Amino acid sequence: MLGRGLKRKLSDYEENMAGLSSAFDSSRNLPYPLKRQLVLNMCLTKLQTYKMLVEPNLHRSVLIANTVRQIQEEMRQESSQQPINVCSGIAPNPHSYPGIDSSGISLHLPSGSSQQESNCCNSWFAEGPIENSLLMVSDDDMSSAISSILKDLDFMEDISPPTALVPAGDDELLKSPENTCLKLEDDRQDLKGAECVFGSFEISNSTSYLKDLAIDDIFEDIDTSMYDSDFCSPLLMAPRPPAAATEETLKTFPSCNSSSTNNIQICRTDLSELDHIMEILVGS
Amino acid sequence: VAEADIISTVEFNHSGELLATGDKGGRVVIFQQEQENKIQSLSRGEYNVYSTFQSHEPEFDYLKSLEIEEKINKIRWLPQKNAAQFLLSTNDKTIKLWKISERDKRPEGYNLKEEDGRYRDPSTVTTLRVPVFRPMDLMVEASPRRIFANAHTYHINSISINSDYETYLSADDLRINLWHLEITDRSFNIVDIKPANMEELTEVITAAEFHPNSCNTFVYSSSKGTIRLCDMRASALCDRHSKLFEEPEDPSNRSFFSEIISSISDVKFSHSGRYMMTRDYLSVKIWDLNMENRPVETYQVHEYLRSKLCSLYENDCIFDKFECCWNGSDSVVMTGSYNNFFRMFDRNTKRDITLEASRENNKPRTVLKPRKVCASGKRKKDEISVDSLDFNKKILHTAWHPKENIIAVATTNNLYIFQDKVN
Repeated sequence: MLGRGLKRKLSDYEENMAGLSSAFDSSRNLPYPLKRQLVLNMCLTKLQTYKMLVEPNLHRSVLIANTVRQIQEEMRQESSQQPINVCSGIAPNPHSYPGIDSSGISLHLPSGSSQQESNCCNSWFAEGPIENSLLMVSDDDMSSAISSILKDLDFMEDISPPTALVPAGDDELLKSPENTCLKLEDDRQDLKGAECVFGSFEISNSTSYLKDLAIDDIFEDIDTSMYDSDFCSPLLMAPRPPAAATEETLKTFPSCNSSSTNNIQICRTDLSELDHIMEILVGS
Repeated sequence: VAEADIISTVEFNHSGELLATGDKGGRVVIFQQEQENKIQSLSRGEYNVYSTFQSHEPEFDYLKSLEIEEKINKIRWLPQKNAAQFLLSTNDKTIKLWKISERDKRPEGYNLKEEDGRYRDPSTVTTLRVPVFRPMDLMVEASPRRIFANAHTYHINSISINSDYETYLSADDLRINLWHLEITDRSFNIVDIKPANMEELTEVITAAEFHPNSCNTFVYSSSKGTIRLCDMRASALCDRHSKLFEEPEDPSNRSFFSEIISSISDVKFSHSGRYMMTRDYLSVKIWDLNMENRPVETYQVHEYLRSKLCSLYENDCIFDKFECCWNGSDSVVMTGSYNNFFRMFDRNTKRDITLEASRENNKPRTVLKPRKVCASGKRKKDEISVDSLDFNKKILHTAWHPKENIIAVATTNNLYIFQDKVN
C-alpha cells in the first residue's frame, strides 16, 4: 500500500499515556481539573498525530475537536471566575506537593483546594517525561490549532471538482507538466507551512506567535530560479495560498497521469536540468 | 491476520438464500444456502461459497496525492427481478452495480467451429446441424454493470436502495446523493451539511437509510447522536428535516466522552417501517417514528465499559463503529461487542443474551453457551472480567436472515453462520 503518512511513535510516551488513562478510569480520587487536563492532552496529541497523516479521518477529528472545545469552554468559564490564570505555563515549586515522584506518574495527590489544583497540574506535567506538547496552551493557540486542522481538512478533502476526475489525454499533459508539478509543489509547501504552525504546539502565551513565523523560511528549499526566468513566465502560475484555490483554477490542471509518486521529484530534476541548460544558453 | 482478509461488511439478500461479504482487500464473497433436504429436515441448508470477485481496486488520486482504499464499506442487494442477482458495493469513493449470473448450459455442435474453438476449414464441412444447448458445470459470473463515481468528496459510509427499486442514496461525512440505478454520470445532492467555513464544522453524517416502504422518506444519523428524518417531497435539498430524533442527555452520566459515545454508528429501519434502531457506542435504541423526543426502548450492550472510557479513548476503541440488525419479524435485535461477543435483545420478553463467536469454544453443531461479563467485584465461575476482554477481537458486522433464524456474524477475518436449533 502506498504511504499513508507518518505516525509519530514515542514508545515511552505511549506507555505513559496508557498508564495515565487507566489511572483516570480506575482512580476515584483524581481531582477533576487533573482529569480534564489529561483528557485535553490526549485530545491534542491525537489531533497532532492526525495532522501528520496524509488523510485524517474527518469523523474522528470533528469529535476530538468538539471535546477540546468543550473543555476549553469549561476552562474559560472557570478562569473567568477564578483569579488564577489556568493557562500559565509556569511550573511552581514541585516539592511543595508530597507524593509526586519524579516520574510524574504517581497519583497520590492531595485533594487540596481548587486553587492549588490548577498549579498542581502544571507541576505534575512539568516533572514528567511527557513531551512539552502536553503542557497547557493558551486558548487562542487551541482555537487556532483547531481552525488550522479543519482548514487543512477542507483543503485536503475538497479541492477536487465535483465533475469527473478523468485523467487528461496525453496531449494536454505534454503541454503543461511543469505547471501541474509546480502547483503541487507549492501546495505542499503551503501545507507544510500550516502544519508548522500547529506542529510546534508548545507553550506559548504570545498570540503573535503566528505572526512571528517567517513565511520566507518555509519556502527556502524551493528552487525559485524558474520563477525569475522570463523564459518560463507564460507557463508559470503564481503560487496561491491553499484557501484561495478555486475549483476553476484547479480544473486547468489535468491530473498527472503518471502512476509514480515520484512525479514531483522527477519534475524537480527536470527543472534543475532546464536551469543548467539555460545557464549554458545564456552563457553566464 | 492478513489485512486484506478483514471482513468489512455482511449482508443477506432479500430471500436469504445468498449472503455477501466484503473485505478490506476489495473482494466480495457470496455464499449460497444449500437447498433444504426435504427428506431429512434436520437443519436448514448450509452456506457454501457461490462466487468470489474483486469488486474494487486501490486507486490513487493524483490531484490530492491520496490513496483511495479498496475496502468495501457496504453491500446492498437489489430485489431479484430475473434470473440474475444484482448488488451494489461501495468503497470510500465509488459505488458499483454488479450482476451475478449463472451459466449452466452451453451451446454445442457448431458447424464452423471445433469444440475447442478452432475454426474449421469450410471445405471440410459436409453436413449441417443445428447447435444445441448441453448442460455444463455451473459457472457463476460477476460483471460490473454500472460504475457510479466522482460524486463524493468525503468517504462514503452508507448506501441504501429505495423502495421504488429505481433509485438509491449514498452518504458521506457531509453530503448525501440520490442516484438512479441506470444513470451513472449524474446524481442529485439531497443533503449537504458542510458549513461555508470548515472551521465551524461540528457534526458529520454517520449513516443513512431509505424507509422500507415510503419511497420519499429517508433518515440520516449524526456524530452528535441525532437522527433526522427527511421527506424528499418537501424540497429538492433536504437540509431541513421533517423530524429530529434526539434524546436529552442524562446528566448523571455526563463525562468528557459523552459526545463521542453518543455518536451513532448505525441506523436501521425495522422491516415494518414503524420503528428504527440506532447504535451508539454503549447502547442500542429503538425509536418510534412518531415520537421524536426519546427512544421507546434502550438496551445496554456493554455498560461495563462506561468506567473504562478513558482507556478506550486512548487506544481509539471508542471510535469503533458497531452495526446492528433486526430479525425478520422485528422481535429481536442483535449487535456486536468486544472479545468476539455479540448480543441479542428480545423486545417482547425483554431477555438478552451474550454469545461468543470463536472456533476454540464452539464446535460445529454444538449449542452456543451464553457468556457473561463480570463488571466488578467477585467474578463467578465462567464469567469473564472486564479487564480480560480482548479489545482487538471486535464484532462490528452482523446480519440476520430475513425469514429464518439464521445469523451471520463477522469477527475480524472470519465469518460465522449460526442457526436456530431445529427440533
